[in-house]
Formats: sequence, structure tokens, C-alpha cells
Amino acid sequence: MNSFDRRRDFLKTAGLAAGGAALVLPALASPEDMRAALTKITGGADVRRGRVKLQLPPLVENGNSVEFSVTVDSPMTETDYVKAIHVFTEKNPQPYVINAYLGPRAGRARITSRTRLADTQTVHAVAELSNGTFWTDSVSVVVTLSACIGDLI
Amino acid sequence: METINMNRRSFLVTSAAAGGGLVLGLQIPFGMTTAQAAETVPEINAWVVIKADDSVVIRVARSEMGQGTITGLAQLVVEELECDWSKVSTEYPTPGENLKRNRVWQSFSTGGSRGIRTSHDYVRRGGAAARMMLLQAAADQWKVPVNQLSVSRGVITHGASGRKVTYGKVAAAAAKLTPPDAKAIKLKDPKKWKVAGKPMKRFGTVDKVTGRQVYGADLKLPGMVNATIMECPVFGGKLKAFDAAKVSGMKGVKQVLRVGDTAVAVVADTWWHAKKALDGLPVDWDYGDNVKVSSASIADVLKAGLDAPQAFVGNKTGDVQSALKGAAKTVDAVYSYPYQNHAPMEPMNATARYTPDKCEVWVPTQDGESSFAAVLAASGLPADKCEVYKIDLGGGFGRRGAFQDYVKQAVLIAKQMPGTPVKLLWTREEDMRQGRYHPVMQCKLTGSLDSANNLTGLHMRLSGQSILASVRPAVVEKAGGKDPLTFQGVAQSGEHSIGYSFPNLLIDHAMRNPHVPPGFWRGVNINQNAIFIECFMDELAHAAGQDPLEFRRKFMADHPRNLGVLNAVAKGIGWTKPAPKGRYRGLAQMKAFDSFVAAACEISVDSTGNKVKIHRIVAATDPGYAVNPAQIERQIAGSFVYGLSALFMQECTVKDGRIEQDNFHTYNSMRIAQMPRVESIIMPTGGKVWGGIGEPTICVAAPAVLNAYFKATGKRIRTVPLKNHGIELV
Amino acid sequence: MADVMVSVPAQARRGEIIEIKALVRHPMENGFRHTQTGERIPRNIITNFVCRYDGVEIFRATLHPSITANPMLVFSTVATASGRIEFSWTGDNGFVVTQAASLRVI
Repeated sequence: MNSFDRRRDFLKTAGLAAGGAALVLPALASPEDMRAALTKITGGADVRRGRVKLQLPPLVENGNSVEFSVTVDSPMTETDYVKAIHVFTEKNPQPYVINAYLGPRAGRARITSRTRLADTQTVHAVAELSNGTFWTDSVSVVVTLSACIGDLI
Repeated sequence: METINMNRRSFLVTSAAAGGGLVLGLQIPFGMTTAQAAETVPEINAWVVIKADDSVVIRVARSEMGQGTITGLAQLVVEELECDWSKVSTEYPTPGENLKRNRVWQSFSTGGSRGIRTSHDYVRRGGAAARMMLLQAAADQWKVPVNQLSVSRGVITHGASGRKVTYGKVAAAAAKLTPPDAKAIKLKDPKKWKVAGKPMKRFGTVDKVTGRQVYGADLKLPGMVNATIMECPVFGGKLKAFDAAKVSGMKGVKQVLRVGDTAVAVVADTWWHAKKALDGLPVDWDYGDNVKVSSASIADVLKAGLDAPQAFVGNKTGDVQSALKGAAKTVDAVYSYPYQNHAPMEPMNATARYTPDKCEVWVPTQDGESSFAAVLAASGLPADKCEVYKIDLGGGFGRRGAFQDYVKQAVLIAKQMPGTPVKLLWTREEDMRQGRYHPVMQCKLTGSLDSANNLTGLHMRLSGQSILASVRPAVVEKAGGKDPLTFQGVAQSGEHSIGYSFPNLLIDHAMRNPHVPPGFWRGVNINQNAIFIECFMDELAHAAGQDPLEFRRKFMADHPRNLGVLNAVAKGIGWTKPAPKGRYRGLAQMKAFDSFVAAACEISVDSTGNKVKIHRIVAATDPGYAVNPAQIERQIAGSFVYGLSALFMQECTVKDGRIEQDNFHTYNSMRIAQMPRVESIIMPTGGKVWGGIGEPTICVAAPAVLNAYFKATGKRIRTVPLKNHGIELV
Repeated sequence: MADVMVSVPAQARRGEIIEIKALVRHPMENGFRHTQTGERIPRNIITNFVCRYDGVEIFRATLHPSITANPMLVFSTVATASGRIEFSWTGDNGFVVTQAASLRVI
């Protein structure tokens, strides 16, 4: 149940991309649905860890309403900006949370919204930059109520 | 009562342990941390701190609420650690520390009878790892192979040379070593236990008996103010307005505050002044539609569900409809079980202090991490600016784990008075009115017998409230709308699977969710399911002209552990021998929380049928493993106090959308003179799975007594509590 | 709550990055829930949100069933010229809600 282990697996299997940031292969951390959803967005391109900061509380009681923010380190100029921010979950009934489309007029690459989380899981954010690269961050959220009743199903 | 000096903090600094780091010990007068400020106190690993004087502090993540889990967990650690038990004390890590250290202590959740059974493996490994590191440190110091060393009660001996050293002397060096791979550690065989498995005295008993124990309700902090609160008594209603001016001038009153959409609080110098002002405060509620709901209207809805065409199936074998159609004789009965409140001796409370830089909460909680999550949400601050300090509970029973409403309230009040610690303590009335109630349930059971009086089929239709639909809807969603927890004790498989094999069986649930908020009452759904199935088994036995024990045994060939505890209580009560004149017996069995439990009682009833005396009650528990047999005995007895009080005296009724019972005069509990002596048989049979202790036994006392009552009077009671039939426990 | 709530500063300096918050009342029924009597409750969510500044799209989002009821969105834009900020939500069952706010840029 410890998704920190899965994050380490993430990074262990990564090679090194040009530019120094570790390559991330999402295969090990996500179930099939989430992987397929991610591939649809990226077209199979590499997704690198970094530049993206996903903020979520580390503990929530029941996951009914969890506020999240995604901030991307980008100058947001006409030639260097964030095109889109995508947020995914691993264990909700379906993997997508939101696809947000920005552009240089945003000034700052940051979005905030609220999601439901069905269970303790890792949430992933992927940013698509104007230069065609993809960057990611992920955060584990523990739903404390899920310990209350154990494994029922 | 003791005061915390919030500036007097003790820091436990590790000597750069591999898995460690800075350990924060807040010195609080709850009999826990005994840190010394100037000393370097090595943390061997997250679970074990050893001081130079050889005293040992065991970190425990679960909460102590009178169930003795803290002592049991310490026993498991110490068994592997091999230190001196007389030098052991325990300490609660905080949820903030747990987060900072990647949740090294894992779950803090104390409920579902899980405290020992879900953590025994890793806490034992924690103790074993610490022992291995301490031995290695001694071996390194003496430059001998570690396998030449032995240890007993914290004293390490090198047999060949006779050298000895105590844990305290090598702790600093041990803390620097690389911990062994936890998964590779070989744990002791429970058959060889010397500390675990023994009736060690519980920590904290003396303090509780002498009044030294500080509960959340007793807490005093410098500059603290006191608050009490009232939430809309009709669930789902809202706060419209209140006339603060009418009470602001009353003695000691500091603030009259709106708390969220549904509650109003008074803050004063003393709790009594706050309560008096709240009592006198004119409040305008918007009750909403639920004001029309009553126990009678709820019962009507549930009754209709007993025959409704749709129900969620929880357990199914064969074709019960055919069996019923082809029956020579059918037996049917309708049972019901009411709303009940946890009613712990200590009312809900939490103390909060908020500034934009830090929000701290002191609270008796069954899950420190749930409390922490509530603090995060209510304060709006990030995790590194929040903290929760756990206090031993004056009763939890399931009210203080999944529900952190009082924490949220305390933070919302404290946010309106930044910098001031606010102790929010509910009145007893508020505690009774704002419960999370044992769900209301009715049950229609139909059994079919063939011409030889063999049971051919059983249909158990439950109609009533789902806890999870309200508390954990994601689980219900995932199960296609069904609440699997409703079938505890009669489930198809798992930790609550039914203890019988019937040729044709259908157990289904027509879900009907009234507006009253449900919660996890000790035992959860086994309380009503044990009455439903175990009383109906007696009804079937009676219709078939068979002895209730013999009748049951026919369906238990595949349930040897159920049979084991049932046979044990039957033997204990002397089932096959005639009872003393005027005494009558009943029995019941169930599997719950992976433990197997049974009870047999012997009662007498006066000639009016209204006065019941329980002369004897024999209980058997097979939890797989017994960590502290003395504590298990107490838990069994305590569960009977709770369960028999509920059976005879406890029901929460609904009128005008709200709960009527608001104090112990209308929601009574038994007194010591009424409580029978409990004869416990603890019979752990080992195996792969560890069973729980806190809850399982609670469910078998009531059906055993109800079954005995029928034997005594010929009257079958199918609705509880018994006071509604004019029956009292003497 | 009101059916729609948007928060845009009344005025901003040219070139300043302003934060915009948009909230709309909607159950965001995810389509995986069932009634007490076992019937599946059909999906009913907001699927799209668009924000336009003087007619030019500055932010767009596709919402999915995980988003909570009464969805909230916070995003930003650069204040360029005084003008109209328009908000538009669309979703299942022909759901359409629009709102507008004025921004004065100095």
C-alpha cells in the first residue's frame, strides 16, 4: 500500500535524459487505464520528472473533496510556455481528473481545482510544454478512513 | 490537573542513525515521554529508544482507549527486543512526525479490532531489528563475532570471555549502524514467548485509578479559554441566526461564534460559564425537511424493505426460493435493532491553538492521522505547519476514529481567536444528540424444514441503514451500490464469514438510509446480525424439536473453529447436564474480525417475567494468538458490560427529526451489581491469521440471554432493548 | 450558494498577472453511483469550461467525473486591456451556463 515504494521504482528504472532530468516510465506505478490515458496525451513521448509541482494534502479523511494545485516552472512567453496541464489518478473509477489548456496569455502556469479521491493513491500531473516536451510530478495521498474498515472488496 | 509549559520542549537527538533523524519529544504530562532535555537519547530505530540508564521507550502508533493495545504492542516489541520489561515505557509519535518520516509508523488507526492483528508483524520486526543492532554494536566493541553473544533482559553476554554490557551502554553505537533488512528477520515462535503471551500488567492502570491520568477533558494550557458548542439538533438542518447580545454580558463570556453553517459556540473563561451562556442563547434554526422524521416513520420504511423486490445479495448458496416452495414446514420471524449511541464516559472534546504559522490540536482520538487530516482541512495550513498531540481516550468505541467533527469545530473556533488555545468540550447532551449511531435495522428470517425436520433453506432479509453509504461512499460505489459491511458475521467469506453451511441460503439487504448519521459502534454490524441469526437458529431448532446445540452442530462440520468455541462454552456451562432449578440456558456463536467467539449463559427469571438475573456467563474466544491473556479477559468482560447494557437498556429514538435521549437518565448503563461474573475461555489455535479482541465477543452475549429467556418463559423476544418489554436486569 | 460565482479583480495594471476564480453549482454526478434500490445514477457532469478575454480564449479545461460537485477552477491571465472576461460552462444533458465580468486595466 506504500506508494512511496512505487515512486522509488519509478525512478529506479529511469535512464538519464539529455538535460540531466531522470526519464520516467510510468508503467510500474499505474494500472493499465491510467497508462493508456497518459499515452493518449503524450503520444508515447518521454515524460520527465521535474518543473512541475503538484500540491495536495498528504492526508485526507475521506477523499470526498480534495483541493489540488499544479504549478509549472515556465517563463510563459510567446515562445516558451505551458500548453496544457493534465491530472490523473490511479484508483478512481476512471483515470482523468482534468485537462487544462493554457498559453502565453496565462502569465503564470498554475491551476487549482478540487477532486474526489476514492482511496489512498498517487495523483499524477503532467505538463505539456510548447516545445513538445512532457514533465511530471506526483503526490501520494493517504485517505485515513480507508484504514478504518480495512480491505472489504 | 497539570499544566503544559509549551516552551519546555525536550528534543531527543539521535546520533545520526541510518533510519533516524531528529526526533521531537514534546514533554506532556500524560505519563508518556520522560525525555531528559540535555541528554543524547539514541533512537535505535523508529520503534525503540534506549537511554543510558537502560530504560527503553517503545513508540506506539495506535491509541489507548482502555483496550490495552498499547501494552500489548509493547509486549510484542519487547519480546523480540529482549530488554527488561520493568524498564519499559511507551510514547506516541505524532502524526506530523509520521508524515515527515514517510509514515514509518504506518497506520495510526485504532478501530475494527485491528490494533494488534494488523501491526504485530512489523512491530515485532522493529523490536528484532533493534536487538540485532544492539548486539552488533557490542560485538564491534569487543571485536568478537556477533553469534557468540547472547542477550537476556537487556544484558548482553559474551559467553567465552564472560564479558557483559547493558543495552544502555551500546545504544549510541547501535544507533549508528545500518538496520538489517526487516523482511529477512526471523521472528520468534509464539510458543516460545516469555513476555508476549503473558498477563503483563497494563501501563497506566494506577494513574487511571488514582486520578492522575490526564484526559482531554482535563487539559489545561497557559492562556487557555473554554468553549462549548451546539450543532443543529435536526441532522441536515442549518443555523439561521442567534442573538449574541442576550448572553454576551454574562459572567466570563468572551465570544459567541458561528461555527460553519450548522453550529454556534460560546467561548468563556470557564467551561461552566460557556455552558450557562449557551443554554441561555436564543438560536434560530432552519431545521429543514428532516424535522418530519420519527422512529415510527423510519420503522415503516424499513418494514416495507423486508418484502421489497430488490435487495443487495451478501451471501448465497443454492436456491432458497425452491427450498421454501418445497418445504414441509416454514418458520419465519421479524426482528429489529435500534439506533444506539457510543456514550463514552468522556464527552467529545479537542483543544486547538491556531496562528497563521502553526495549528496545533490536542485530542483524544482513535486515529491521530485522521485528526491531522481534519486539522489540515479546517486550518487551511500546509502539513508542515500543523500538528496533533494524541491523548489517551476516556472511551472511544468507534466514535473517535472515523469522525473528527469535534477537531474541525475546535480549529474553526481557534481560527477566530488566533494565538489563544481553545478547549472545546461538548456537554453530555450534545454528545448524545450528535452521535454517529449504530445503524437501525430490521430483519425477516424464513427457514424451511423438510418432513424429517431437517433445515433445507434459510432466507435472511435485512432492511435498514448502511454505514458506508454515508461514511465511505467510495466503497459502496465500487461494490455496485452494495454495502459489504452490512453482512458482518454472516458474510460469504473473509474475516466475518458465517459460521454455518446451509444447503440453500440467501442473505440480502434492502438498503434504507434515514437521515440520522450512522457510525461504527463497537462490533458494528455483528451486534444485530448475531441476534438475528443466533436467535432464529434457536427458533428453527425449537420448530424442529431439536436441542439448540445439536441443531447448530449439524451445519458446522466445515467450521471447526466456530465449533471449537461453541463446544467450549457448552461444556463450560454444563449444557448436557440439567441446569439448577429455576435456571435456564442459552448460547450463541459467531466469527468476527477474524476471531471465533461464543457465549453460554445461565439466567433466572421471576414469575412476572420482568426481572432477569444472569447467574453465569461463559465466553470462549479463539483469536489465533493471545498477546495478553489477562487483557483479553478484561476485554471480554468489558464487551459484555457494553453489549448487555445495550440489550437491556439502550435505544436512541427519533422525534421531530432529532434524537430524544440526551443523557443517562434516558440512556442508562448497567451498574456493577447487575454485572454477572464472566468465565472466559481463551483458546488461541494459531494459524496464519491473527484475530481481533476489542469487538468480537460483544455480539454473543445478547443472543445467548435472549435464547435463555425463551427457555425460561416461552416468550420469544425479537426487538430490543428489553426495557421496552418491561424487562429489567437485576 | 448562488448558481455561479466568478472573482476577477475590478482593476489591474497593464501587464499584471491576475488570478481568476470560477465556481458553478452542479452535482457532478460521476455515473458510478447507485440508488439505495440498486439503480445506477446516470452520469451528469460539466465537461467543458472556457474563459475568453475580449473574445479570445485565454483558458480552457475539460472536466472529468473525478472533479467534485460545484466545481471550482482557479487560473490566471495577464491584464492586457480593459475589457470583458466571459465564462462558459457546458456539460451533459445540454447544460450551459455563462457569466461575464469587467476588468479595468490601467
